[in-house]
Amino acid sequence: MKRAAGEVPHFPLHLLLLVFVVITTYPILWVFTIAFSGKQSLAIVNLPANPSVQDRLRAITPWPEEVSASNFVSVVQDQPFARWVLNSTIVAAATTVVGVFMACTAAYAFSRFRFPGRRAGLMSFLVSQMFPGTLTLIPLYIILVQWLGLGSSWIGLILIYACTAIPFCVWMLKGYFDTIPRELEESALMDGASSARIFYQIVLPLAKPAVAVTALFAFMTAWNEFILAATFMDKEEMYTAPVGLRFFVGGFSQQWGYFAAGSILVAIPVVILFMYLQKYLVSGLTAGAVKG
Amino acid sequence: MASPAPQLEPAHDGTPSRTPAPPRRASGAGRIAVGVLLAALLAVGVMHWLDVRRSASRSQGAEAEATIVVARAAADVAAKLGGEGEGIAPAMTAWAQSQPSVKAYRVINIDSRSLEASTFPADQQEGAPPRRLARPEKPLYDLGQTLRTNVETNAEEQTTGNPEFTVERQASGDVLVAAPFKVDGAVTGFAQILATPVAPKSTAPPLWRALAFIAAPFLVVLGLTFFVRNNTILFIAGLVLLLATIWLHATEKGASYGLATAAVLLFVFVGGGYAGRTSSALLEHRQAYWYIAPAIIGMLLLVFFPFFYGIILSFTRQNIYTANQPLTELWIGAKNYVDIITDVNIFRNTPAGRQINYGNFYWTLFFTILWTVANVAIGVAVGLVLALVLNTKNLRFKALYRVLLILPWAVPNYITALIWKGMFHQQFGVINQVIQIFGGDPISWFEKPATSFAAVVTTNGWLSFPFMMVVSLGALQSIPGDLYEAARVDGATRWQQFRSITLPSLKPALIPAIILSVVWTFNMFNIIYLVSAGEPAGSTEILITQAYKIAFEQYRYGYAAAYSTVIFAILLIYGIFQNRATRATESIA
Repeated sequence: MKRAAGEVPHFPLHLLLLVFVVITTYPILWVFTIAFSGKQSLAIVNLPANPSVQDRLRAITPWPEEVSASNFVSVVQDQPFARWVLNSTIVAAATTVVGVFMACTAAYAFSRFRFPGRRAGLMSFLVSQMFPGTLTLIPLYIILVQWLGLGSSWIGLILIYACTAIPFCVWMLKGYFDTIPRELEESALMDGASSARIFYQIVLPLAKPAVAVTALFAFMTAWNEFILAATFMDKEEMYTAPVGLRFFVGGFSQQWGYFAAGSILVAIPVVILFMYLQKYLVSGLTAGAVKG
Repeated sequence: MASPAPQLEPAHDGTPSRTPAPPRRASGAGRIAVGVLLAALLAVGVMHWLDVRRSASRSQGAEAEATIVVARAAADVAAKLGGEGEGIAPAMTAWAQSQPSVKAYRVINIDSRSLEASTFPADQQEGAPPRRLARPEKPLYDLGQTLRTNVETNAEEQTTGNPEFTVERQASGDVLVAAPFKVDGAVTGFAQILATPVAPKSTAPPLWRALAFIAAPFLVVLGLTFFVRNNTILFIAGLVLLLATIWLHATEKGASYGLATAAVLLFVFVGGGYAGRTSSALLEHRQAYWYIAPAIIGMLLLVFFPFFYGIILSFTRQNIYTANQPLTELWIGAKNYVDIITDVNIFRNTPAGRQINYGNFYWTLFFTILWTVANVAIGVAVGLVLALVLNTKNLRFKALYRVLLILPWAVPNYITALIWKGMFHQQFGVINQVIQIFGGDPISWFEKPATSFAAVVTTNGWLSFPFMMVVSLGALQSIPGDLYEAARVDGATRWQQFRSITLPSLKPALIPAIILSVVWTFNMFNIIYLVSAGEPAGSTEILITQAYKIAFEQYRYGYAAAYSTVIFAILLIYGIFQNRATRATESIA
């Protein structure tokens, strides 16, 4: 391919990009190496007493000494990891359903109706994103654990996740509802459709792509959440996957093999999902920020 | 059509439907009277309820105290007769006759292990007293020993820390009290009585008093409506009356300030006509409100209520031990805030010399700002450079590079944090292996603030640049190519093109991204908590992780709430300031 005059040579650009590709992929390759090593150590190889440069180079090469899937097998079978993933799945799925339902109706009202408190409501949703987690965490802990006795339960976590997801979902969905022409609804209204019917049979089907994207984000957020789950789920069998993975390598426990294998199992679906969704996320976030 | 037509068209622009009704005098005066009634009902009602509850718990204590006195009297009777012998039973009988509250009594001498006198039916099974204690009566002997030990310990240590009597509340409502007696300075036994608690005079204020206090201001306002024709004066009179009522009725001033505030708000809400307007608005737009109700209720219960409750907590000294006490008893005003803000002991003197006191708020604030600035700067710089490179025309493998470079953003950040924590491991971590290949010494990353900072910034930099890259790339791709062509024709250099075309086009996308990224990084809990965990000695703690540790490792809920409120205030000020700054730049551009 011939370059047009005045264009920069591509070779240094490729070199720079390759350096960054190494930086971004190395930690990921490292996790795969540990996961497939069949051991719990966080060293790729065991170094001899006086390692040479070759030994050290081997120690940073992301390829296990022997490839073994035993970590994957035993993390699922021998460890309570499967149970943690189940907890995460239930919590994240229920969060998505509850959160998106609440967000859909609210976003529709914010988009279509003009009513006192509309602007205040939208602004308060934005401001609530600024509340530091720890400020609401203490009262939430007191309310859910000490008053309602919902510590270490799915319901407690689902309610918190769903409600904290509302503002983001509302802003995403409202933006999309705003783009649906009102004429459609008006003609349905002329034909005598009730407001609920218009919402469920005309607007929601039209907004399906946006609802799907919002739902996936709500799911991912709940799936990846760590602090709230770590604070509220203090029984080992009720851990979610993030808390469980931390359990493998936190404190004095050093089960890096289980951690790596578990991380890969937990992260692969969301990484793929994220790659597919990130263009929506960027437009949603920056649009919201510009408006705010 | 069953339901009313929804208002699809904006009837009026978001403001309440202020149908400027002509100020009908009667309804205004009525509103004020009702407002006074409701506000007085709230304040006086709650104060009365608190008084009743307080006096109930107080009288329970008083009951027990009165019975203890009776038990002591019984013990004194036994002590006067030497604590044992034939004389005790008749003396006790005589004493008990003068004590209508005593249902049963027993006197036990633990030196001789004998039951000297008793009217407990259970004691008669083993034979009438006086007699030796039987084997099943061992618990009674043990009780005597416990009392003796407590009395002796208290005498030795000169305290009253160990209870010198025992009180057991029976299911029937009676109390069982045991008091030891001394003969020649040593505890030789005890007297135990079962008594109906002597009900002390109830200190609870009578209900009619509360009712009178609720009715009085209402009636006065009602009377005033006949003489005062001006609603403003009536309103002020109502307010003054209300405050006077609360002031006069209040028995404990602590709770009354909060209640007075609530009552005044309620009065203004009802008396000022806001309640009427709100309810008519609710009715008029009920459809819209139905739609937002689930979200709003959820947000109110689990986001806004916890937020305000947190702010209230920040004015108390609540911690894990006092979590069950009412907040009014733990109220300490702004002390937590004063402690945080005025803690200027940034340095402390140790034998090793002056050291920074890492637990100090200002150090943590400084570190948080340093952390935020460093990360955002790295994110923007790396992201922008990569975006510019990826935006090069005809570059091969562009899509592949893009996917690989976005990966860090896609990985859940707690996993990223734990991975890097493993790679920074002093002995086995790959980063130290790389350093050793180049002949360096392995670094113990989390033992010095500087290296610990480097580690957390590296981790966060790794996961935060892709966002900036994607945002910049999107903006770059939307710049029309003709602009550059025109610039080249005019002889602009590459740098000039960048300055005058690229940067201005990037700005609208980059500024919101930076604003977001500042807030994210400022609150980036997971990386600090999981990678450095504040090591060494809390020097790499950011505000949010510090607040978490105060709450869930030191269990000082009130202080942690104040700390979090300060964080919120900082973010809010930043948000307002930022909003102004961006508006200013927008209006210039």
